[in-house]
Amino acid sequence: MTLMRLTRACGVLLLSAGFSTVALAHNPMCECKEIPGEQIQCKGGFSDGSGAPGVTLDVIGYDETILLPGKLGEDSTLTFKKPSAEFYVLFDAGPGHVVEIDQADIQPQ
Amino acid sequence: MSKVAAVPPSPLRAFWLKWRFHINVLLLLVPLGFMPKYFADAALFRGDAGIGERVAGEVQVGPWSLTLAEFRNEGPSPDPAGPMKFFNASLCDTCANQVKATYLRIGKPRSLRAAGVIFFGTPYRMGAALPIPERTPADAEVWITMEGWDGSMHQGSIPLSQASPATIAWLNKQGVKP
Repeated sequence: MTLMRLTRACGVLLLSAGFSTVALAHNPMCECKEIPGEQIQCKGGFSDGSGAPGVTLDVIGYDETILLPGKLGEDSTLTFKKPSAEFYVLFDAGPGHVVEIDQADIQPQ
Repeated sequence: MSKVAAVPPSPLRAFWLKWRFHINVLLLLVPLGFMPKYFADAALFRGDAGIGERVAGEVQVGPWSLTLAEFRNEGPSPDPAGPMKFFNASLCDTCANQVKATYLRIGKPRSLRAAGVIFFGTPYRMGAALPIPERTPADAEVWITMEGWDGSMHQGSIPLSQASPATIAWLNKQGVKP
């Protein structure tokens, strides 16, 4: 009985030691895809699984002009019309917490 | 004679009763095998072993400079947000008071907003998790952007092959992505 309890305690300890390194950081994530109707849909979030409603997502031209200043909706997504000029998408959750997606990386779904 | 003593123990139980002390001594010896790694990790985390497992060198960033090191001398680690490579850095002695923020990015940043990941921690030992895109070319450069308290911004770069040969090896192993 004691042995079993000890084994179980050791198991819990090992598991928590294993997970402690996993939960160190939550990095910003963003994915964009082209949807029918010349539209682009972007979804933001963080690597700990949380969403990013209200976080800034700007569509910026290669000449650094902001083509479309936006914020993610309640479902952490933003849909916008594909700009005619060359652009990239910037998911901006604060300084150093950004994800850049170039137009070349946005594939039709 | 009592009834309990009359029942002979099962072979398994007999084995346990005979060897339990030896088995427990062996269990006590098991952690000894992990000790070298434990103490090496403790020294690395505390900073006794320097700012990282492998110091890449000093990078000049405008009037400032910083010492860049790989936290672990290995390729990027998997993360839900893509492969991440951990770098540590320390600012030069004179610039610790002048620099507000330090950013790290693969490739030249388009703007200060997109300067990459930010370094956390004290100026003497900062850390950042750099996402490594799968399509990173082997001749890529790691760009460091520093923002001063006076509003100035300076940039510097170091080849990725110099910053982290292990990451180049990892990229070569992954193969070129279309």
